[in-house]
Amino acid sequence: MTATAPSYPSVVPESAPALVLDGITKTYRSKAGAVDALRGVTYHFPRGSFTAVMGPSGSGKSTLLQCAAGLDQPTTGVVVLGGVTLRGLSEVALTKLRREEMGFVFQAYNLLPSLTVYDNVALPLRLTGKRPQRAEVHAVLEQVGLGDKVKRRPAELSGGQQQRVAIARALITRPSVFFADEPTGALDSNSSRQVLSLLREATDRAGQTVVMVTHDPVAAAYAERVVFLSDGLIAGHLDRGTPGQIAAAMSDLER
Amino acid sequence: MFFLSSQTIRRHRHLYAGSFVALAVGVFLLGLAATATAATIAHGTANLVSITVTTLGDADAAPRPVKVPMSGEDVSGLQVVLSLVGTISGFITIFVIASTFAFAVASRRQELGLLRLIGATPRQVRRMIIGEALVVAVAASLTGALLAQLATPLLLSQASYTELAPVKLEPASPWVPLAIAVGIGLVVAMLGARSAARRAGRVGPIDALREASLESARIGPVRVIFGLLFLAGAIAMLALIRPSSGEGVVPLSMFTPMVLVVALTLLAPLIVPLLGRLWAMPLVAWTHVSGRLARSNVIATPRRSASLAAPILAISAVAGSMVLSLSFAADSAAATIRDTLRAPIVVTAQSMPTVSGVGAVDAGLPVQFVRAGAEDAQLEDAEGIDPAIASQTRALTPLSGDLSQLTGNTVAVSKQMAGFEHYQVGDEVPATFLDHQAVKLRIVAIVPDGLGVNPDFLLPLDLVRQHNPTAKPERLFVQPAPGVDPTELVTRLEHAVLATAWEADQADGVRQGNQLGLVLLLGPAAFYSAIAIANTLLMGSLQRRQEFVTSRLLGATPNQIRRMVLWESSLVGLVALSLGTAITVTVGILIRHAMTAGVADVPVTVPWGILLGIGGLCLTLAVGSALAPTSYILRVVSQETVVHQRQ
Ligand SMILES: Nc1ncnc2c1ncn2[C@@H]1O[C@H](COP(=O)(O)OP(=O)(O)OP(=O)(O)O)[C@@H](O)[C@H]1O
Ligand SMILES: [Mg+2]
Repeated sequence: MTATAPSYPSVVPESAPALVLDGITKTYRSKAGAVDALRGVTYHFPRGSFTAVMGPSGSGKSTLLQCAAGLDQPTTGVVVLGGVTLRGLSEVALTKLRREEMGFVFQAYNLLPSLTVYDNVALPLRLTGKRPQRAEVHAVLEQVGLGDKVKRRPAELSGGQQQRVAIARALITRPSVFFADEPTGALDSNSSRQVLSLLREATDRAGQTVVMVTHDPVAAAYAERVVFLSDGLIAGHLDRGTPGQIAAAMSDLER
Repeated sequence: MFFLSSQTIRRHRHLYAGSFVALAVGVFLLGLAATATAATIAHGTANLVSITVTTLGDADAAPRPVKVPMSGEDVSGLQVVLSLVGTISGFITIFVIASTFAFAVASRRQELGLLRLIGATPRQVRRMIIGEALVVAVAASLTGALLAQLATPLLLSQASYTELAPVKLEPASPWVPLAIAVGIGLVVAMLGARSAARRAGRVGPIDALREASLESARIGPVRVIFGLLFLAGAIAMLALIRPSSGEGVVPLSMFTPMVLVVALTLLAPLIVPLLGRLWAMPLVAWTHVSGRLARSNVIATPRRSASLAAPILAISAVAGSMVLSLSFAADSAAATIRDTLRAPIVVTAQSMPTVSGVGAVDAGLPVQFVRAGAEDAQLEDAEGIDPAIASQTRALTPLSGDLSQLTGNTVAVSKQMAGFEHYQVGDEVPATFLDHQAVKLRIVAIVPDGLGVNPDFLLPLDLVRQHNPTAKPERLFVQPAPGVDPTELVTRLEHAVLATAWEADQADGVRQGNQLGLVLLLGPAAFYSAIAIANTLLMGSLQRRQEFVTSRLLGATPNQIRRMVLWESSLVGLVALSLGTAITVTVGILIRHAMTAGVADVPVTVPWGILLGIGGLCLTLAVGSALAPTSYILRVVSQETVVHQRQ
């Protein structure tokens, strides 16, 4: 089920994984004491793969995603994205990398409320200093099925439509890795299906890599592999599981 | 990034409305001050009548000729007031603008984080904030300039033929002054925006994923150090308010509270919780939950409470101190006039017919001369007197010298003037009369200050007549013949009043003059503070939407939330007002002591109405602008259901 011929051009050898986590630990320190959110995670995300990350609440899923995307510094360990080691990059270099290589979709608050759908999608291009091509923006919005909502503002869209705008915005820069944290967490099953299909399509058609945190076994079943996280450690994985198998594995984990 | 700025600014209208109004008003006042100054300058160059005098020169300055404008044409009083108004407006605008911009950034962390997440560099975020500020600043500055241009003729017609500008003023070309005002407005806005932008640049992409950041309760050591430095400076200034400071105490009474306000604002995160706890005691005893909640909210977020308290503290302290100081100044002026005037009757006419029962008539002739100093020359008020009569009708017993020698080219100088210029009996004062004749006046006596009755220089009558044959007395002090009852004599004289009535009139005049100064100087400051108070409390409440929603879901009734906000804003207001009162009382006591030294039985006039009015207005404004948005939010929220909870 893995994509065979990734169309995404890259200087990195095709065999190399899109994203490498090597011995990642993360300790949050606060007045209340230290929390070991991640306790040594090593994992390779193959190019063009769709991986779901599951685990009990507080197991460190969001922390993992944030460290992998360079939003937060791991306490120890190395993250390599598209051949680039994140540690030691300047804020500006990190931003450029994020802009060009990563796309983000979160559970809520993904869009700038002041901008129209069109402007939200075109924003990453503007930030790189490019003039957005109308046709390009429209094409992406057609792709997510929102060709007729170009002029709306986020407040005038349903939750599912907002998520699809967020995906369109992530798609437009053709990133090599998508990071999604519970992208369907606030959606009904119909909207969830649309959003998940779009992510699935990204890996199948364009060879992009998707890392998605979810609580929903049905959503996780869209991925070819589910990685289970427990107490800051990888507890195992399941390939091409059905929702039922995934749910069973989860309840095993939570016991 | 300009594209973004223009889009986001529309969305954050309410965040920028306060900045817009404050800046527009600031530029309006600056513009008005500038156009009016231009009018006075244009007037000055157009038809200035002046006397040229050569200064004396000293070790640092060679003698040079200077032009001194004649009193009839003097508009420098207006220029001084205008420059003061301009300075105060500019100063306060920086504060208000900086705080509103900072607020705008603080309440948008998530949005800025999202921008960073999708690829905006810190620099781009900074530029966006600067861009937003620029849009607001340009719009506000132009609006302010336009309003200033419209209001200029009105101001000039009001200012013409007044004590400050005894001439007719015409509007001059507005382009240069308004360009200056707009320029200052833009610079001030950019200064205020810069620190806000720098903070915005530090927002990380991860902030998009976190709940609105909780403030760190710690206050930085730098802030404490600066707070203590300002406090030390203020104490040094307070120590300067003493009898020997003379006229300097009036500006001190204005600037000392300002420095104290800055000090207390910096230290407020430490002080506010303490005072808050104190004031909350009756509240907690009296109410059930709402008082308790209000107390913990005020105490748990000291920084936020401090910034809400700051504008209330500022205006109550500055306005309170000024009002009290000027009232005490008028009190001491009244006492001085009372003590200086001995004659029981004052006739407000240029001459009087001979009437039986009149003992002595003190008909002093007012005159002006230009006094040359080491580096400049000044127009001075003087009066020609007959020393024999005047020493009966006024308190003129010399502190040194002999008043009976006041004949020929001589002068008697007031104690205050002698103190300023280090004059002693026997010194010579170089004077040029308005007939262009220069003479050297030998000092024969130093006499007590008689502000309101005597000018600083007293000359022989003949000398005045000689240099100004048309001089006429403005008022006559009348001493009845021995055995004649003044109350009876006054009924037989035209334009005559008893000295007590005249003294009361003079004191009223001083009070009215003070009132004009108060309105001119405090008006803009009060207006700004009102904006700042409303602004911070309004935005403070709008920011708490999520908290209100959660409280509602937990079962709090809208009324309970409203009561909590009511107690909270009252608590902050009371804390600020008690600090403001402390400053006012301290400054007031010192001023009173400085001004009444050496004068007995000075009346005490505390303008309770105005002082309580200031306090009441501050409280009403604070509570109102906290409650209004709360009610609005509660109304909107009752129709909504979903609370977005982030992962
Ligand atoms: N900023 C932070 N400061 C301190 N502790 C944190 C912080 N963020 C997360 N944690 C802690 O780290 C651990 C992992 O948190 P994380 O958000 O990664 O969990 P999660 O698996 O995403 O949970 P959920 O499914 O509920 O979203 C938790 O114990 C959490 O309390
Ligand atoms: Mg999470």
